[in-house]
Formats: sequence, structure tokens, C-alpha cells
Amino acid sequence: MTPLARLLAEQRRRQRRLLLRAAGYAALVAAASVILLGLSGWFITAAAIAGLAGPVAAQGFNYMLPSAGIRLLAILRTGARYGERLASHEAAFGALAQIRPALFQAIAAAPAARALSFSTGEATARIVQDVGVIENRFAMMSAPAGLVAATVAGTILTLLGGWAPALATLGCLAALLVVADRLASRLEAPGRAVQRATGALKDEVALHLGAAAELRCYGLEDWAATRIGEQSERLADAARAQAQVLGWFELAQASAIALAAGAAAALAQGQGAAIVALAALAAAMTIDGAAPLVRRLAQRGMVREAEARLDTLLETGPVRERAAIALDRPTIESDGVMLAPGARILIAGESGAGKTTLIETLMGLRDATPGAIRIGGQDLADIPPRQRRTVFDWAPQDAALLSGTVRDNLLLASPQASEADLWHALHDAALDERVRRLPDGLDSWIGENGERLSGGERRRLSLARAYLGTAPWLLLDEPSEGLDSATERTIALRLAVRLSARGQGLLLISHRPRLGALCDTTLRRRPSGGWTEAAALPSRGIDRHRLETGAAGHASGDSTPSRDAPVLV
Amino acid sequence: MTMLAAAAPDPKLAAQRLKRIVPRTARVRASTALLVADAVAGIGFAAGLAGAVVAVPEGLGAMVPGLTLLIGAGSARGLVAMLAARVGATGARTTKIALRRSLVAVLFERMPGGAATTGTLIATAVDEVEAIDGYVARFLPARHAAAIAPLLVLAATALASPIAAAILIVTLVPFVAAMILAGGAAADESRRQFVALSRLSGLFADRIRALPILLAFGAEQRETDRLARAAEDVASRTMRVLRVAFLSSGSLEFFAALSVALVAVYAGFNLLGLLPVAVPEKLDLARAFFVLALAPEFYLPMRRLAAAYHDKQAAYTAVERLPERTFAAPVGRPPALTLAAAPHIRFEHVTIRYDDGERPACRDVTFDAEPGSVVALVGPSGSGKSSLLHLLLGLAPASGGRVLIDGVALEAGTTLAGAASWVGQTPLIVPGTLRDNIALAWPEAGTDDLCRAVRAAGLAPALAQRGLGIDSVIDARGGGLSGGEIRRIALARALLKPSAVLLLDEPTAHLDMAAEIALIATIRAACRGRTTLIATHSARLAAIADQIVTLEPLA
Repeated sequence: MTPLARLLAEQRRRQRRLLLRAAGYAALVAAASVILLGLSGWFITAAAIAGLAGPVAAQGFNYMLPSAGIRLLAILRTGARYGERLASHEAAFGALAQIRPALFQAIAAAPAARALSFSTGEATARIVQDVGVIENRFAMMSAPAGLVAATVAGTILTLLGGWAPALATLGCLAALLVVADRLASRLEAPGRAVQRATGALKDEVALHLGAAAELRCYGLEDWAATRIGEQSERLADAARAQAQVLGWFELAQASAIALAAGAAAALAQGQGAAIVALAALAAAMTIDGAAPLVRRLAQRGMVREAEARLDTLLETGPVRERAAIALDRPTIESDGVMLAPGARILIAGESGAGKTTLIETLMGLRDATPGAIRIGGQDLADIPPRQRRTVFDWAPQDAALLSGTVRDNLLLASPQASEADLWHALHDAALDERVRRLPDGLDSWIGENGERLSGGERRRLSLARAYLGTAPWLLLDEPSEGLDSATERTIALRLAVRLSARGQGLLLISHRPRLGALCDTTLRRRPSGGWTEAAALPSRGIDRHRLETGAAGHASGDSTPSRDAPVLV
Repeated sequence: MTMLAAAAPDPKLAAQRLKRIVPRTARVRASTALLVADAVAGIGFAAGLAGAVVAVPEGLGAMVPGLTLLIGAGSARGLVAMLAARVGATGARTTKIALRRSLVAVLFERMPGGAATTGTLIATAVDEVEAIDGYVARFLPARHAAAIAPLLVLAATALASPIAAAILIVTLVPFVAAMILAGGAAADESRRQFVALSRLSGLFADRIRALPILLAFGAEQRETDRLARAAEDVASRTMRVLRVAFLSSGSLEFFAALSVALVAVYAGFNLLGLLPVAVPEKLDLARAFFVLALAPEFYLPMRRLAAAYHDKQAAYTAVERLPERTFAAPVGRPPALTLAAAPHIRFEHVTIRYDDGERPACRDVTFDAEPGSVVALVGPSGSGKSSLLHLLLGLAPASGGRVLIDGVALEAGTTLAGAASWVGQTPLIVPGTLRDNIALAWPEAGTDDLCRAVRAAGLAPALAQRGLGIDSVIDARGGGLSGGEIRRIALARALLKPSAVLLLDEPTAHLDMAAEIALIATIRAACRGRTTLIATHSARLAAIADQIVTLEPLA
């Protein structure tokens, strides 16, 4: 059983009462429809025959029962359809309320390297769509019950006309289901084509919109618009091809109804006009009862693909759950360099040398190579990611923020933080004055990924958030990029005070000298991995040794942390 | 444009916009005609059934015409439905292509200031446009057909039995009343519901996007709980809404079912001659059966319309998110100046403010660029460096001050694009040969010109080293080329075009020091004879400028 199947099965169990109720109502709707139409046809015809036979026969005709039955069935069908819709949607929304959080939880628990791949807009949109498809499935779960009820009711009624009409109706029904199944398979290729074309169009749009100025200079806008137009046409063609296959479902359904009604009428001929009318209409409605299932078949390919994608998402693989390790103010060792707790390290290196990758590895967002990095003497690869993260407070390079308020973003790092803590962190990130000026202060809405803030403000909010944590090490990835020098100076001064007061270590990636000056030591990352000595500043709190000469001795963080006055410009 | 902070939906605006974007060629009439043809086939089906039933006593042979009509008309319905799906899809295709074309033109016309990221723009250009598919393909034809098809059915019914037709009309009154009373409220509720659901999707999407951050702060469980609460909330509110919506659609169905039952009972009693009141018509089996079989068809078009309501909802939401100018008549490309020699460019108290920005991108900027000189614009991100360059190309609006070219004010709507070359951070690389890529800038150029530009851009050594020539194919992502080499391709492009102005936007960003130093040397040579503006963070690059203009950050 795949992880998604397990998740869905559990939801089916939870929603069983509602799903059963929905199925019951669906069966009622389908059966009532078949009987209603059959009975109406019979009633009219029988009444006509009785009417022709003269007033006595007409008086003797029991019209009360059928006409009451017709009204009753009409009301029953309407009520049952209301009940079916309500129950199936309640089940779907109930499942929705569970499936999203469960999926989110599973995604969050997946190997950390994946977390980074989900954060692109395209990947996220894909997941949201797939979940929508799965939820939709829940609302359609009552379809088979309707089909069964329609078949049973239809068979009983058509049997009044003999075996032949009943068998003909069942034959038409079976043929329709086979054809719909074939069509559903044929729909899979166009479905995939639509998805591929959508991806290609997005790539093309991204390519050209990113180069608008260049296109303008060389008069290439029409050329670019044509290229986008071509992809746009390809997508529209794919969508049309898909719609055309869907059209065949309509043809199959309508033809099956016509054939079943015609065949039932012809084959019941020997039983008289009233039974012919009953059989023909009952046969037509039996086939009509398959409509929800046919609609569901039409979505089969889409559902399968969505399920397959979500499954790969949930496929966690063997997670090596390790026992937690005591990591109180741990040392960090990487490629023969040991960093004592409280050390302040500037990580330098060319772009592409893997500085950010190193930080993401420390944060447990990428898999660690065994033996490459040790924290508190333990191999990083052996420390559960969740625990690695307790060692660091991180301000990432992209300064990612949550949609929400300033407060939501700050509380992420420390849910229990007091109002004063929040303002203190904002002060140290030189953002307090700006937040005070916002219309709702801490409760101001900052938009999707902080879009209502400027680039520099987002960065400072991300910095303030990192300040609210209490981890022994602070990881700052380009924290002052895009800030003016006065603000940068303020931040550097306050950071120095902060680090000294808390004895927190600092790993800093920055091109900017003013922040770099906070650090005791510069380590230059080689693109091939490992470090070159680039200690422009006196190395304090750093202990160089070879890993093979035994790193374990340095494990427990017993070296004296460096708390010298920071070197500031 | 954010999913979470969705603006209050304005159905009127959306309706106006949709009206403007559905072209005549969308063949809504054709699909409407097909839906009406479906009703005609429905009448045929009913007639065939009635004919067959009436002919039963005369034997199977007598039933053949009725059965033929029954099966023929029934299959014709399928055919018509299939054609309607095809024509609808074709119309949707035409509409989407046209809408996307004008949207892309708008997006090219002006760099959206600040907020909109490329990701949002892509979603706008692709997904929002796709969302109008069902509106054109299904909703519009259903709406038009709902006004015509019931009348046809009514006319056919009236031919067979005026009283049955009267029953249909009478039940139509409560039907329509229910539709107006409940439908309006339900539509309103359903719109709010749609917004609530898309907000929930937005929250879900946002938390997945921010997953690295949530993991980093160990907040995954807290956010899972938050999502669960939000989902529970939407679920319970949704059910309240749906109860109303289903009740109203249930009442519509009730009246539809009631009318069918009334027609059946009336016809039956009429045939028996047992009607309590005298009526001026005496039905026979054929006519009675015909009106009975036809009665459900009367309501079918309206129910089809209700089923397509979701398509309308999706389209309304989508068009509300598109920029206003997509729906206006297209404006021509601004006229471009031509310059014979490197010009003098003066920025005089220039302020740039984008439509949606609460504060200007830059304010009151004044400086002079002498003919043939190099000016570096430096300052923090967000201080408007790139916006000033975009202003010269008409990609950013001048909300204050003016730009003088050789002493003549650049009129609103006129740009320097024709006389300028551009190198940015993310140069355009299309699949094809190196020659294709570079020649984009100046298609008239001969091979000699191309080779000169390639050499001047410093591409020759890298190409030689890899055994590549000017006709080597490079792939779409610039795979295999280094960041520096991609910038050099853009530089070769800039040099190929005989331009008087060179605009460089962060040309050395994200390069390592060695690559940057090498590229700066090439840039310095390329600037010769051109008035050059460089927006940059790099002090090393700024050092080659004759003049450095520092832009202050705006609070």
C-alpha cells in the first residue's frame, strides 16, 4: 500500500458514515429515477388504453396508486439528491480538512533535501493542484452505488418485458462502461500533453519576461511575443485535443441511452404498449444512472497522475532515525578546521564554491556526507536533521517570509516570545522604527513572501527572526545585502553586542567588509570542498588540526569560547 | 495579485472585462446553436418514443419508424453534444490565445514595479488565462441556450397539448422565483466560498514554499496545526454555505420534478377522461406520451447552466487578477529616437513611481552623462538604479522631472531603445547556435561583423578552448556556459548593434572575482564611443566610470 493510499484509506474510514449515507442517497436517487420514468410511461399508456376501452374500464383503472407513486418518487428523488450532495460534500470537506495537514506533515517529514525542491512556485502550484484533484475524488465516491441501484431497479423493471429487454439494457450498460474505460485510457496521453505544454509555455514566458529590457533595445518584442504565442497555441491545441476526447464520452453516453431505450422497446413488444413504455424509459434511465461513474472515469487519468506525483512526494524512504545527542554549545568541525563555541567566522569563497550549500547542510536541509562535518564531535550525518536545527538560528539568503503579519513571522522562531522580546529583536535588526510606523505595527500584513516590504526590510525581518531563536550558533547568509551603509553599521554594532551578551557563535556569509569585521576569522571555501587559510584577522577561538589525528578529543566543546571584544571598524 | 490577500471580488468589473475579451471568433453562437439543436433532437427523441409505443399493437414492423427516430435522435444528441464540446474548445482556444497575446504585450510594455515577481507574472500569463476556458467553452453557450431552448420545447409541447404547455409555464413561475430568490443568495455565498477555498489553497501553498524556514525553526508541527484549524474552519463554513446552495438547487429540481409529475398525472387523467374539471382538449396516447417524455427537456437547459456556474466563477476570479490594460485597446509601441553619435544625457529631477508602489522607486535624481562618457549608478538595491535605465527604454514611468537627450527633452512615449544596447544580469539565451543568439541584436549583420563582436566581447578564447565556433549550438538554459560567458554573449550582442548608448544593469553580479575582473576589462573597451550608464553594486566595476552617481535609499 502506498503512503497516499494509506492516507486516503484512513480518511475513507473516518468519513465512512457520511460516505455510506451519500452512497445510500445516491442509490435512492438512481433507483427513484428509473422507477419514476418507467412508472410514468406505464401509467400514461395504461391510462390511454383504459380510456379507449370505455368509461367502465376507465373507472375501474386504479389510478390512485400510480399517480401517488409518481408524485412520491419525484419528491423522493429531489430529497435524496439533496441528501446525497450534502453528505458527499461533507465527507469531501471533512477529508479535505485532514488530507492537507496530513500531506503537509508528511512533506515536512520527508528527507530534508526535498524541502528545498518544494519551495519553487511551480512545485508548490503542482502540489496544490494535485491535492485538489484528490479531494474532488472524495465527492464522487457515491457513483458506484448509484450505478448498482440503477442497474438493479432497471433490471427488475425491464424484466417485466421479458428476459430480452433486460439483457439488452445490461448489454448496453456494459458496452458503455467498456467504451468509457477505453476512452479514459485514451484521455491519458492528451492529459499529459496539456501538462507538458503548460510547462513549456511557462518556461518560454519566464525566458522572455526576464529579458524585457534586452528585447526592447533590439526591437525583439514582437519576435518574443510570437515565440510565446507559438507555445500558447501548442497548449491551446493540447487542451482542445483533450476536450475532443471528452466529447466522445458524451456521444457514447447518449448513444447508449438511445440504443437501450430502442432495444428495450422493440424486445418488449409482445408484452403490450404499457410495458413497452415502461421498459423503454426504465432502460434509458438505467444507462443515465451510469453518468456519474462515466464522469469519474473521465477523470481517472488525471487522478492517477496526481496520486502518483503525491506518492513520490510522500515516499519518505528509509529515514535513519537516530537517538538524540546532547548538543549543548557544541563545536563545529569541517575538513580539518574546528570552530569553538562562540567563535565568529566569516565564510568567504567564490560564488559557486558551496557556501550556501554548506549552511543548508548544517541546517539539515541537505543530506550530509558522512565524515565531512562534525558537530559536538558527532558526525553530522548521524545527527537527526531536527536536532541539527536546534543548534542554529538561520537567516537564509533569500530571506523567505511567511504570508502573514510581522508578528507571525517573528513568532515562528520563538512562539513564546514576549512583546518586549519581539521589539528587542526588531531593534537589533534596525527594523523597529519602520514597524512602528506601519499601520498595525506588529500585526501589519506583509503580503505574500513579504511583498509589501522592500528587499532590505525583508532581509532585516528575516534577521530579527533569527535573533529570536536561542540556539548556540547564528547562521547569517548575506544579511546586509542591499542595505545602505548607515543601516549596515547599526546592525553590525548591535549584532556585536548581542553576540557578546549571549555568547552565541556566528557563521557569516557576506561580501561586505563592515559585517565581516565582526568576525575573528575568515575561512575561504574552495570550490573542490575544504578550506584554504584566509585568516586576514588573527585567528581566535579556532583550533586547526587534522581529522585523522583524532577529532573526538575536541568533541564536548571544552575549548574556551572567544568572547573578546569584537573587531569593529 | 496575491492569493491570500485577494481583493474584494467585483463581479461587475469581471463581467465587463470578460465581455471585452471574448472575440467574435470564439464561436459562442455556433456552440449555442448546437445546444439548441440538442433540444430539437430531444423533441425528436420524445416523438420517436411516443411513435414506437403507439405502434406496439400493430407489431414490430410498425414500430420501426418510431424506433428509428428514437435511436437516430438519441444518437444525434450525443453527436451534437460532442460537436458542442469541440466547438466550445475551439472557441476557448481562440479566446485564450488572444487574451494571452494582449496580456504578454502588456507585460512587455512596462516592467511591473516592485511587488510582482517573475513567478507571479508567469502564473498570470499561463494559469489565469487558462481559467477562462470553461467560461467560453461551456458557460456562455449554456447561458445563451437557456434563453432559447426551453421556448422550443414549450412550442413543441403546445402543439401536442396546450394545457401541458400551460402547466410547464405555471411551474416555471415558482422555478424562476426560486432561482431569483435562492439563486442570488446562493451565487453570492458560492462566490465567497470560492474565495475562502482559494485562500486556503494559498495558505497551503505559502507554507510549502516556506518549508525550509519552517523546518529551520522547528515549526512544522505548529504550522500543520494551523493548517488543520484553517481547513476545519473552511470546511464547517463551507458546509453552511453549501446547505443553502444545495437547498436552492434542490428547490429548482423540486419544481422541475413537480412539473413532470403534474404533466404525467394530467395526461393520465385526461386519457382516462377522469379530470375533475372540463378541459378543451382530448389527448391521445401519442400526444400524451410525447408531452410526458418532453417535460424534463424543458428544464434541462437551465440545469445545464447551473452546472456551468463554477466555470463562470473561476473566470471571474481570474480576470479580476489581470492588469487593467489587458482589456484596453492596444497602444502602439512608443516611437524610438535614432542617434548618429554618442549623446549627452541629462536626468533632471527625475522621480519614478510605479502604479502599484506606495513609494517611488527613485526621487529627484539629477545628473549629466557627457557624450561618450561612462557613468556608474551605485546605491543599495531598491534605490532605483535599474529603474533609471528602464526609464530610457520606456519600461518605467517618469512621474516627475525630465530626461534631456542632447539638450532636447525626451517626450513622454519616446524612448532611446532604438539607439541603445543592453546587458543585464540574466541575458536572453534561446536554443540555437551562438550566431542565432548574437544576431538577434542586429539581423542585418554579416559574418565579419559577428566575428568582430565575438572577439570584442572576449568570447574567442573560451570558444577556442572548448573547440566551439560561431555555429555551435548552445542549449536553452545556457547549459555548459559559465555565468561570465553568458554575459559576454549579451555583450557581443550589445556590440554588434551600432548603438550610441550602452546600458549595463549589474553586468558583473554573481560572478567570482577573477571572472569579474576579466569582464570589467572587456566592458571598459566596449564603452568606447558610447554614452554608457552602468547600474552596479560592484566598486570594482564602478571604478572604470568617469563619474559615479550615488543614489540614496528611500525610506
